[in-house]
This record gives sequence, C-alpha cells and structure tokens, in this order.
Amino acid sequence: MSTQLHTWTWLTWLAATLVAISVTRNLFYLTLILLCLLVVYSFIEDANQRGAYPFSLLRFGILVSVLSMLFNMLISHFGETVFLTLPEEWPLIGGPYTLEALVYGLTNGLVLFGILIAFTDFNQAMPVRMLIRLIPRAFFPVAVVISIAVTFVPTTIRQFYQIKEAQMLRGQRMKSLRDWLPLVMPLLVGGLERALQLSEAMTARGFASAAPKGGNTAHRLAMVVSMLWVMAGWVVSTRAGWETLGLGLILAGALALLAALWWAGRQVPRTNYLKEKLRTGDAIVLMGIVVIGLALYFPFEWIDRSSLYYSVYPLLQWPDFDPWIGTALLGLGLPAYVIGLRKR
Amino acid sequence: MISFQDVTFTYPGASYPALQSINLEIPAGSFVLVMGLSGSGKSTLLRCMNGLVPHFSGGTLSGTIRVAEMDPVDASPQVMSRKIGFVFQDPEAQFVLDRVEDEVAFALENLALPPAEIRTRLDATLGLLGLTALRERRLDTLSGGERQRVALAAVMALNPSLLILDEPTSQLDPEAAETVLQTLVRLNRDLGLTILLAEHRLERVLPFVDRLIYLDSEPGRMLVGDPRQVLAEVDLVSPVVALGKYLGWQPLPLTVQEALPFAQLAQLPESSDVLISDIQATLPEPVLRIVDLHVFYGPKPILKGVNLSAQGGEVLALMGPNGAGKTTLLRSLIGLMKPEVGEILLLGESIAGKNTADLARLVGYLPQDPNALLFADRVLDELLYTLHSRAHQPHGHRQNSSADTDTSNAEKAAVMLAQMGMADLAEAYPRDLSVGQRQRVALAAIMVAQPRLLLLDEPTRGLDAAAKQRLADLLQTWRDDGHAIILVTHDVELVARLADRVAILEDGVISAQGKPVEVLAASPVFMPQVLQLFPDAGCLTPQQLINRLRST
Repeated sequence: MSTQLHTWTWLTWLAATLVAISVTRNLFYLTLILLCLLVVYSFIEDANQRGAYPFSLLRFGILVSVLSMLFNMLISHFGETVFLTLPEEWPLIGGPYTLEALVYGLTNGLVLFGILIAFTDFNQAMPVRMLIRLIPRAFFPVAVVISIAVTFVPTTIRQFYQIKEAQMLRGQRMKSLRDWLPLVMPLLVGGLERALQLSEAMTARGFASAAPKGGNTAHRLAMVVSMLWVMAGWVVSTRAGWETLGLGLILAGALALLAALWWAGRQVPRTNYLKEKLRTGDAIVLMGIVVIGLALYFPFEWIDRSSLYYSVYPLLQWPDFDPWIGTALLGLGLPAYVIGLRKR
Repeated sequence: MISFQDVTFTYPGASYPALQSINLEIPAGSFVLVMGLSGSGKSTLLRCMNGLVPHFSGGTLSGTIRVAEMDPVDASPQVMSRKIGFVFQDPEAQFVLDRVEDEVAFALENLALPPAEIRTRLDATLGLLGLTALRERRLDTLSGGERQRVALAAVMALNPSLLILDEPTSQLDPEAAETVLQTLVRLNRDLGLTILLAEHRLERVLPFVDRLIYLDSEPGRMLVGDPRQVLAEVDLVSPVVALGKYLGWQPLPLTVQEALPFAQLAQLPESSDVLISDIQATLPEPVLRIVDLHVFYGPKPILKGVNLSAQGGEVLALMGPNGAGKTTLLRSLIGLMKPEVGEILLLGESIAGKNTADLARLVGYLPQDPNALLFADRVLDELLYTLHSRAHQPHGHRQNSSADTDTSNAEKAAVMLAQMGMADLAEAYPRDLSVGQRQRVALAAIMVAQPRLLLLDEPTRGLDAAAKQRLADLLQTWRDDGHAIILVTHDVELVARLADRVAILEDGVISAQGKPVEVLAASPVFMPQVLQLFPDAGCLTPQQLINRLRST
C-alpha cells in the first residue's frame, strides 16, 4: 500500500507543520498538532506494513519533555508560583524554582518532539528516490551518495546493537567507556566491508556506466562564475548607494547559477521513469494547509489569534483556546485520512 | 557464451594464485553449478566473468577470457553489466534504494533509457519474478526470499544474457530457497538464459543443473562437465549421490526422484532403534525448561506459549520457516528479550531479573553473524577477553592473583584452540580468516567459558562441507561432555547428522517435537534425502544407512 502523496505535497505539509509548531507555545494547540503527527505516523507505518506502534517515539517524546522541563527549571528562575527555593549562594542551581519555568520547559520539549515527529513522518512517507529527485540532476552522484548514507544509518545502528549484544554475550557489562571500545572495531570494519560490498554491487549493476554527453569542465566553470557573480553582487551591495546595483547583480548571478545547473543537469545521462501527478488526495491535504494558513494569518474578525501567543510567564494560567484555530490545525492530520482512504 | 583459456589470477600480495590455468567452455543456455570448498576460487571465477576481477580487486591476471562476445578485462564491469547480471550472497548489501520498484528501476535510469521503455521492462521483470504485488513495498518489510528475488529482478531488468549468482540461497530457509531456484529454472528454460550459480548446499541445486564445475582446493585442479561424471570423481556430494555411489547405482542419480526406483529395489534390514539415539529415557533434570513463553515485539506477539526443555548431553534442533520466532526464542533464553508471560528455568532457577552478562556464565550464544563478536588483534586474545570478562563478574570464579589468573586463562584458551583444531592460528588476525574459521573463533570465544547450555543460530550459514563436518564433530564432542546444545538451523542434513531431538517452531508455537526420524518424516519441507528414499529404514544420513548395511 502506497503512502505516496506528491513530493511537493509532503514538502508543503512539512513546512506548514514546522510553521504551526513554531508559531505557538499554547499547550492546547501543541497537543493537537502532536496528536495529528502521531496519527499520521501510525497510518504511514501501517501503509508501509511495518506495524503501527508509535510507542518508541512516544517514549522518546516523554524523555525529551522531561529533560527540557528539568533543564529549564534549573536554569530559569522566573515566574511567580514558587514551589521550592534553594540557597542563592549555590552556584547555577540556587534560587527559586517556579511552576512557570517547569511548564515553559515542557512546552519547549513538546516543540522539539513535534519537529522530530514531523521529520520522521516525512522520512517514512517519502521513498528515497523522491528525495534524490529533489537534488539537482547535475549533482546526481552526490544525491546517490546521500541516499546510500540515508539507508546506511539504520543499518549501522542495527549493527551497533548487534555488536553490543554480542559483547554482552561474552560477559561484558558495558559499564565504563573502556567496555565500549570492543564495539568500535567490529562496527568500523563491518561498515567498511558493507561499503565495499555495495560499491562492488553498484559497479556490477552498471552504475555510472553511461558517459556524460559533454565535457564536465564547461558547466563546472559556468557554475563557479555564476557563484562568483552572486558574491560580487553581495560585495557591491555593501557599499553605500550601490545597494540596487548589488541586488541586481545578485539576482542576475542567481539566475545564471540556475541556468548553469539546468545545463549541467542535461549533461547527466539519466532518466526518471515515474512522473508524479497531483491527485485528489494531494488536493485534500493542500486545501487543509491553505485553511491552516488562513486561520493563522488572514485577518478574520472572528478568530482570536492572541491565544497563539500564550505565555506562561509571569503567572501560570490556563491558555485560551480558539475553536477555529484548533479545527484548522486538525488539517495537519489529513495525510492520515488520505492514506486510510487509499488503503480502503 | 563463456570461454576461459589458460587463465591464471593472483590477488595482490598473495603468494599463490587463486585460479591457475583455468580452461573452460560454457555454451549458451546452460545451467551451471560451480562447486568446491571455501577458498577454492569459486567467487573469484565468477567475478572474472564480469570483470570485477581484476578491475575491482586488483591483482595479476593472465590468459584470455571471453564472455558474451566481450573481454571483461578490456571492458569494465560497468560495460559488462549490460550483458551480465550478477547477484550477490547478501541481497541487503546490494540495495541502493528503499522500495521494490525503485530498486529495480535504478539501473535502467542510470542507463538513461526512455521512461516508457523503463516502465515496460519494469512491468515485465516484476511479473516474471512474481513481484508485481510487492512493487510498492519497502525493502525492509520483505522476507529473505522476497529480497533475493528483488535483487534478481534488479539485474534481470537489464536483459542480461548471462546470470551469475554467488550463493544466492545461503541465507534462506528451504521453502524460500526453493522459490528462488524455481525462478531461476524458469528463467533458464523459458528465456534460454545462461545461469552460473555457486552454492554449498548441493542437494538444493543438483536437480536443476545440466553442467558442473568443480574447483579443487589444490590450485589448477578443476573438473567440468556433466554432473554425473563430475560427481562420480569427487567426494563433495549430496546425500543421494553419496548413497548412489556407495550402492553402485547407475546411472548415478542426482535427485530423490531419480534415486527412488533404485531405492525401491534395495534390500534393507528392518528398522531398529540402535542407530537412533533415544537420550530422553535416561536423562536427568533438564538444563533448560521453558514454560508457556509469550514474547512480544511491540504489539506483535512473536512467541505464543512455547513449552520446551533441553537436557544436558543432548542436541536439540529447532527448525521452522523464516519469521517463526526461532531467533526470538534464543534471544529470550539469554536475556536479550523479556517475556511478557511464562517462565524460563535454567538449572531449575528462573532467569527473570537476571541480565545477559550474568546469564552468559551458564549460557553461550553464537549469533547468526559471528563477525559481531570479533574485535581483537589475535585469535588468542578473543578467548582471553571472554575469560577476562568472566573473571570480573561479581558472581564469577575469582582467582588468587592476577598472575595465576593470566596463566590459567592462557592455558584454558590454548586447550580450547587445540580442541577446535586452531592452535596454529592463535596469533592470526581473526578477520583475515575464512568464514568457517571466523565462525570457529567466535564459537571458541563463547565455549572457552564452558557454558552448560550452548545456543547456536544458523551456525552453518556460508560454511562449506568440510567446515560443516568440523563443526558437527565439535558439537558432538561437547554433547558427549554433557553440554546441552540448542541448534537453530535450516540445514536439514546437519540436523539429520547431529540432532537427538527436533522441535518445529511455526508462527510462534511448537507445532511438533520428538525424535528426528519421527518429526522430520512428518514434515515434507524438512525431510532429509535419505528419509525420502527409505522412509521405513529409520536412518537420516547416508552414513547411518551405510553403517546399517555394513552391520548386516
């Protein structure tokens, strides 16, 4: 079962999510956003046939939130609701401990957790080849290296745990740093062996067998000249009275750089067999994002945006909740609806 | 299709050639098995055909090679890839992308083929290999057999005229291996594709091949030709062929089907229990008892009420399809996974609350990949490290002084290496050794602590017949010394040779357990060849049958 929305739909969804998370510190809205992201995660995992259980993510979220709470409580002594006071002369940790600092830390932890799930959802939903396509074709070999690195990370983590377990099987307790040293060598050697195997397999499958159509030098030169042009524009723009000229040079240089990239990309002999199409599901998700944008930024009289800018300081109070904004934010869960619809 | 004329190849820094004076002619449309012991040059020979040797490996090559009307030495492996598909042992090690369809299309996109042609080839290839339903699946959600078929599809999409496979079924259970081999047979018969396949488990492959290349461990000695002719001259054979050679069956049968008419005419004495050990009746309190074990992975139940025991002086073989929960069961026994329900009793005591390092005093566990254990500069140090770890445990046996401990440990390690037949490798760098030798070093590093219970997860993966025989001998010795051994394996012939008891784990439950001859006879997938031929003889291996014939 595919989790595929259009690449640009997922990118727009990711951007909208990050904006929504960063624009508010209201615990009600943050909780709504997190719920939407977790539901999307479950549907993506289900569609990927890996079983939907966001427990490890939730565990990590709780850990981040608790650490953030404790850290903020220790270093920030603002707020009026004091529940503990340590002697002021104690360095770093001395002073009043407030409920407001605790809740503010919790809010920051939830924001960090939200960003993590948003990127996790995006990574799980997007096939690696779609990520490669986002990189200009001129840099295709670099894109492949990045894709290999992306797929290499989980394998290396898995291998790390295998080695750790293997050493425990020999009675090693992994208490001090010295106990972890036996992990390094097998991990390093194993990683190198896998890299060699992969490069051998890619060679045997003809990777980079089609020669570039033209010479590399000309388009590389064009890219370097374009970048120098942009830099020259920036230098010129720093002189008083030459700002407009500088800006013009920067724009022209940027255009030249884009043209050079396009030209270089055409020299790379590679095709894409799959053309993405915008479908009804994409329209649903994009409309949801438009509604969120309107709710957050369009000056509707009936929307109370002050609830977005809630602050726990100086005295902790329940945040306000605007039902229009709350309903609009539920739009971040629409990818789950679309994935569920396709599965049915 | 393939021509080698007086080809000799030496790896950089090697003192002797990996291939010597190889002369070979393989016609188009052949299905060829390349066999030989580890280190005989099978992989080197295969890699010469697409130019990975010498382009990728370096080294010195002399002689002439022509494959699909090209010279792989002059052309690069990239160019050869348009005519030659190469599938490696571990499919995971060759994947670049993360979805089935994308992985298969990757090489086609690199060749800059028009999108319409890529789509056509993609549909045809996925259909040919039965992967159409899986085309949008992520690779990490596929079974081992499915992944190997994806690896096959990725090279088949390039429309090769020659397909080379280096031990493609070594990591698969019998059913998955059969699926992959049947796919190869279809490609060979329907498309006329020439196939070269290196494989250790001959009984799996012999039914399908029409030509055989045998590479001897002694460089320069090679046999090529009709499988019957070649197998008649070598010792490395499948159980059916071994029986056929001993009993003088002509023409020499390669498969159970071919051997059945001979078997029906053979006069065998009545079955008795003499040859099949019945250890159960005389055994004391079990070393291990598992009671109603339930283990979950996230929300998913893996083990659903397993009841099992293992006795000292017994080899218990645990078999079952991939994903049945065999590895999970072993991991639970050493404390790497915690059961939700049920109890594991080791020497009568529950292991609940004990950590892996504590349990390792009594339980030795050899994981599937022995490389994970090896990190030291010398083989000897690997063993000393285990002994050193044990000496520092709170409940471990403590020595009087550091010097005494060092001397005692060195003696123990030396004795173990001698027992494993590796005394001359004590100073060797472990990762420079062959697969079989590495596995023995890992096993020695576990066994040097003398655990009462030994758990082995797929110990014969990638081992040749000689290494497998050495392993079986070792396990027999340890069993006779009173160790309990649990062996998870797909290797039916090893189980036939070694096991005192067999348990089948299917979908998280023990579906059958008992004497090997009874359990294996009831399972068509796991039935050894000898039992297929002589179901009433009560024998599982050619040697048992031959011994019985000799005794009468």
